[in-house]
Amino acid sequence: MIQIESLKFQYHDNGFHLSVPHFAVRAGEKVAVVGPSGSGKTTLLNLLAGILTPMAGSIQVDETSVSDLNDAGRRDFRIRNIGFVFQDFELLDYLSILDNILHPYRITSALKLTGQVCQRAIFLAEQMGVAGQLKKHPGKLSQGEKQRVAICRALLPQPRLILADEATGNLDPDNKTLILDLLFSAVSDHHATLLAVTHDHELLKRFDRVVDFQEFQNKEAA
Amino acid sequence: MNLSLRKILFINITFALLAIHSSMAAEKLTVYVVNYPLQFFAERIGGEHVNVVFPAPADVDPAYWMPDTPTIAAYQQADLILLNGAGYARWVNKATLPRFRMVITSAGFKEQYLETAEIPTHSHGSEGEHAHESLAFTTWIDFSYAAKQAKAIAEALSRKRTDLRQIFQKNYAALEKDLIALDKTIKEVVSNNRARPLVVSHPVYDYFAHGYGLNIRSVHWEPDEILTNEQMMELNSILKEHPAKWMIWEGEPVQASVDKLKTLGIDSLVFDPCGNVPQRGDFLTIMRQNVENLKPAFQH
Amino acid sequence: MIDSLYIAWKYIAFNKFKTATLVACITLIAFLPVALERLLNESERQLMSRAVSTPLVVGAKGSALDLMMNTLYFDDEVPELITMEAANRVMDSELALPIPLYVRFQARGNPIVGTTLDYFAFRGLRIAEGRQLAVLGDCVLGARVAESLGLKAGDSLVSSPETLFDLAGVYPLKMTLAGVLEKSHTSDDLAVFVDLKTAWVIQGLGHGHEDVTKLQDPTLVLKRTAKSVAATAKLYHHTEIMEKNIDGFHFHGDLAQYPLTAVVAVPQDDKSATILRGRYLTREETRQIVRPADVIDGLLQNIFRIKNVLDAVISVVALATILAIILVFALSLRLRQREIQTIFRLGCRRATIARLLAAEILIIVIMSGVFCGALIFVVNQFSNDLVRMLFIS
Repeated sequence: MIQIESLKFQYHDNGFHLSVPHFAVRAGEKVAVVGPSGSGKTTLLNLLAGILTPMAGSIQVDETSVSDLNDAGRRDFRIRNIGFVFQDFELLDYLSILDNILHPYRITSALKLTGQVCQRAIFLAEQMGVAGQLKKHPGKLSQGEKQRVAICRALLPQPRLILADEATGNLDPDNKTLILDLLFSAVSDHHATLLAVTHDHELLKRFDRVVDFQEFQNKEAA
Repeated sequence: MNLSLRKILFINITFALLAIHSSMAAEKLTVYVVNYPLQFFAERIGGEHVNVVFPAPADVDPAYWMPDTPTIAAYQQADLILLNGAGYARWVNKATLPRFRMVITSAGFKEQYLETAEIPTHSHGSEGEHAHESLAFTTWIDFSYAAKQAKAIAEALSRKRTDLRQIFQKNYAALEKDLIALDKTIKEVVSNNRARPLVVSHPVYDYFAHGYGLNIRSVHWEPDEILTNEQMMELNSILKEHPAKWMIWEGEPVQASVDKLKTLGIDSLVFDPCGNVPQRGDFLTIMRQNVENLKPAFQH
Repeated sequence: MIDSLYIAWKYIAFNKFKTATLVACITLIAFLPVALERLLNESERQLMSRAVSTPLVVGAKGSALDLMMNTLYFDDEVPELITMEAANRVMDSELALPIPLYVRFQARGNPIVGTTLDYFAFRGLRIAEGRQLAVLGDCVLGARVAESLGLKAGDSLVSSPETLFDLAGVYPLKMTLAGVLEKSHTSDDLAVFVDLKTAWVIQGLGHGHEDVTKLQDPTLVLKRTAKSVAATAKLYHHTEIMEKNIDGFHFHGDLAQYPLTAVVAVPQDDKSATILRGRYLTREETRQIVRPADVIDGLLQNIFRIKNVLDAVISVVALATILAIILVFALSLRLRQREIQTIFRLGCRRATIARLLAAEILIIVIMSGVFCGALIFVVNQFSNDLVRMLFIS
């Protein structure tokens, strides 16, 4: 699913650089990425999603060379193939829950909002246990419910790859487990691949594989 | 010209004349007046070009008549409203009339208006004494004034219909001639005995007396009422200083009153001011009869 | 574009207070100068049309503006009085026709205009209901007065005393409502018209009472002789003119000395107008003759000078408001950086982000435009009345 070779990236403003000699994830795998803060985990996710462009190396996601695409190409690829789940949920307060779930379809012409898509959104909401909140606004929901809505939004375009950046970081222990269960279940149901950045060592054993980001940096240094 | 063409021409001319006539009829001036003399003058001067209306009932004194609201509204719609002036027709001061269409026919001699001393004065509050009707108003029985009033009417009509000015002026001239003739006749009649004391039945002869230099005293008697003892006593006290031999009535007195006066050596004659429409005759015939009636009083 | 508008609308609807404030600011800034322009144009039109339709006005020497405001708009500031002799003088000149006016008293807050029947023909006023003035004590109401007082022909209206404490002064007269005029969209709609003589009766210059020569009550008679009767102050003066007592009403003294506030002179032609005006130029003359159009033109010049200042002030305020609105948008954008980052990460183009923000601005501007348009429509509909309420009365 994911193949990274000799990846090099550097931020211009603060000089931080990232180097990943080799990184691969199989289709359907649930991989956790751990490492200290500032080690570049989120940067890796952004590079995979095509939000950032590497200075060198290649990034293959599901047979698409993301690193070779132009801006528009990366954007299109991102919206069709990648689902994002953020630590702070990043729901829009002024949209209803249903509108939040459907939001990706409204911000790009690459996705077409049809009746079928709405039905699928409602189905996802039912799966996540938030179908009763569709008309409410995020302000009325609990943290756990918000993250479930965010997962619905990420899954609605039926992406091949789910990138979760500290998806359970702002949840209490009970909700963490619940969210992870739901995420795993949804990923399995949609035959997607999950790459999750997490600090939560309690949950690591649930993943298929755990990658220590510090190792990349040490290997590179070596 | 063949027969059918003549017919067409005749019909066309007839229609044209009818049209002219109807247009003329439609342009008649509507003139409202407040007394009969003005009606007479307006009709004499205006002729077929005016429609003169005098709405007061025949049995009322127009000086004291109060028209109802619809009648006042009709006055308001007139092309001209001829007023006598000198306080005649008290209702005028209590009604709303279009000033621009009002003509005070005696305005030309308003400086010569006469005050009448016969109305009791009264006072109330801080205003001092005053009378409510302090001017004499039967101006037309001084025929020189009547002629002036007629002239004012002629001028007013001429201003309204400048195209008919010549006709109006011509008609006025004829009327003036009649009025001045009357004036001259009266002057001749009274010339010898101007100072002869006379008693008049109503205070309506001020202009007549003033205009012709007569010596009159007035009482307030109705010709159709028999004189009472009080009235006879009033007359007696007048006669002490004013030994009149003739009583001038404004209307035909009852015989009983005439007889009573006769006992005091006073004869009666009628001089009808003709404020309202006469039962017979017109203004001039009435005035001419008045002059005839006057003659015995000034014979030696 | 529909999606952008949808999302923009949702944002605007959610942030009601901010949206309302922005819409209100933009609406006001757009509306104020337009409304002011409209009202000033309407006031110019009203003032000038009324002034132009009144050829000449004769009044006491003094403020020509006060004279105009009282004569044309029945302002309650009463100018110095003249007498009926002024009207007679115009009549006698044969250069113009006079329409006397006595605008001094009020009836339930509405000016009483004492005049002659010629005024109605002059102003083209027609009776809508009832009849025209006919006798002393009649009044005819302007359309708006009848509406506001809920009166119709046949009702009565009492004049207001000039002061509460002057018991011996102007006393209330109960007038009969003869008719109601058609709407003329001028100051005439707001007036109570009476015959000039009725106005004098209100003042007490004319009155009605029992025939004093026929008084029976000894407490009413101070002194009686054959030739005169003096009545006591107890003698009752009628406060209502009716058919049964109208005969008793009378005026004392020379009517030529009775008061007026102004005389409208309608000249035969321009030459007559010039000659007539010339007759009032002598130093000894105690009256003035003015052309209302000249006076009102002068007033309007002043108004428009003030308007220029107002325009400048509004422009500065508008600029400040626009800058404030720009600041609000900029700050709002800053606050929404995270939201923008999120949707960018989700796959939104920068152009789409710009379109979303532009859609919000567009909706706000359209809403402001609609409100502004509605307010301007209302101002247009009621400009006539607003001008009279705000500027003239």
